[in-house]
Amino acid sequence: MNPSTERIHRFGRSQHLVGVVGQPAQGDAAAPGIIVLNTGLVHRVGPFRMHVELTRRLNALGYPTLRMDLSTMGDSGASAEAMTREDQVRADVRDAIELMRRETACTRFILLGLCRGAQSAHVAASTETGIAGVVFLDGFIYRTLGFRIRHYLPRLFQLRRWSGFLRRKVRQATATDAEPVSFGSVYPPRAQVRDEIGDMLRRGLQLYFLYSGGIGEQFNHPRQFGECYGRAIARHPALRMEILAGTDHTYTLVCDRERMYRHVEAWLLAAFPTTAGAAAENDAENDAEPAARRVAGSRQEPGR
Amino acid sequence: MSLPSTPIQFGPARALVGLFHATGRPATVGALLCPPVSQTLMRTQRIYRQLATQLAERGIAALRFDYYGSGDSAGDSVELDWERCLADIATAAAELRERSGCREVIGFGAQLGGSLALAAAHRAGFSRLVLWDPILDGSAYVARLDTLQETLRCDPLHYAAPRRPEEVAGQWLGIPVSTRWRAQLEAWRAGPADIPSLILDSLPAEADHTWAPLQTAGARIEPMPHASDWLNLWRLEHAVLAPRLLNAAVAAMEQPA
Repeated sequence: MNPSTERIHRFGRSQHLVGVVGQPAQGDAAAPGIIVLNTGLVHRVGPFRMHVELTRRLNALGYPTLRMDLSTMGDSGASAEAMTREDQVRADVRDAIELMRRETACTRFILLGLCRGAQSAHVAASTETGIAGVVFLDGFIYRTLGFRIRHYLPRLFQLRRWSGFLRRKVRQATATDAEPVSFGSVYPPRAQVRDEIGDMLRRGLQLYFLYSGGIGEQFNHPRQFGECYGRAIARHPALRMEILAGTDHTYTLVCDRERMYRHVEAWLLAAFPTTAGAAAENDAENDAEPAARRVAGSRQEPGR
Repeated sequence: MSLPSTPIQFGPARALVGLFHATGRPATVGALLCPPVSQTLMRTQRIYRQLATQLAERGIAALRFDYYGSGDSAGDSVELDWERCLADIATAAAELRERSGCREVIGFGAQLGGSLALAAAHRAGFSRLVLWDPILDGSAYVARLDTLQETLRCDPLHYAAPRRPEEVAGQWLGIPVSTRWRAQLEAWRAGPADIPSLILDSLPAEADHTWAPLQTAGARIEPMPHASDWLNLWRLEHAVLAPRLLNAAVAAMEQPA
């Protein structure tokens, strides 16, 4: 990493936000800027430095990036405005876009977030202009009838499941510090989210939903996406949905993060190609399959 | 009311990223907040920010920063290096002196941040140390991290099926680890500090609270309410909240040397 390609900024309508802008070595006017939003309450570095690693990889592929702290998160302060959290997120994203316009040649932007970050990205992408796409890592997904059937029916007849269930319960009850992973988010109504996703697609946004294997209590089959949001959305050509089975929610292991990075990169390169990305793909062809083809080949069944 | 912190890049090739908390008036004392590494860095970010803000409000300039290979600073995580961390602390202390004009710099650090502050105390010219549950025995710490990594591999709350050993090798709790860093950490044994030192002890009751050799050399120990299990597999991303410890750290640094 060339440290001279990253600059930390204080910015925003009240100069209350903090973020790091990363520039590719070579400018590419067509490349969108990638804005990475906070995961849960973790500051802009991301869980296990995920946001740092990812933004630097994206810089190498020609994408300018901003990893930022939303109002009151990480190193960012409050804006002293009376507004809802949703409106605050939207205003923060507008400030981020303004910073990126000033610091880079970007005219369009991709929002990227994991968990709460995906929810923040959804909130902003629902209303804000200038956004060309969104990467939702464990974004909104709702349990469906299909989920419940797939989840509970096999368990009824498996002794192993019952013993595993009981072991987990005993462990949770006896280990004072162990607690089930809970993401504590309050979801808006499913119909609202479905309508907002539909509206994003009508406005021409490219959407990528990438789900980890760590939300098995919420999402257990690719078909669930279509059950949740309807076929028109699930089959929309501007929307792609994939699952990274076996990983946990925050990609704790290095190999899991690597898988996630490759999927995000492949989607970006396919949806928003860059000169540097094309060159990297050409170079990679001599050694292995290019990232986009590699991911497409391993793509799980979409929710159709 | 405190001034907003100033994001800065400093050191060779401006590779280090930090936030400087100015006092708004001439400061005679500064505090260098040496961060821990890996998941503990993530968990203490908020309390370091709170501490720096409160210190600045009381006239003590503060600098928070990330070592090369950690946080926002340049370098890959696997490039984290003990000697480079010590050099970064010295660089950051010089940056703090230059920006604030302070004559005295107090070193603060939690967990490995405390160990690094202690190891760099002479090089950085610290006048005092305030250490929060510092790691004094590197080999025991490495053994604990190895055990936790193996527990993570088979943890049903993280993975539906146990992961293969090669998938968890060469990393601790989400962060890749070089053989060099591992060896450096394993070799770490704290020596006595030759400057006034305070240890804020928030370890659980069943932990070892002897703090040798610092305590035997005269370090003051201040027991604190148990704040958090530092190495807890199910709290890898949970912020550590410790209001009483925050107050104690501020009070200790406000006292004249």
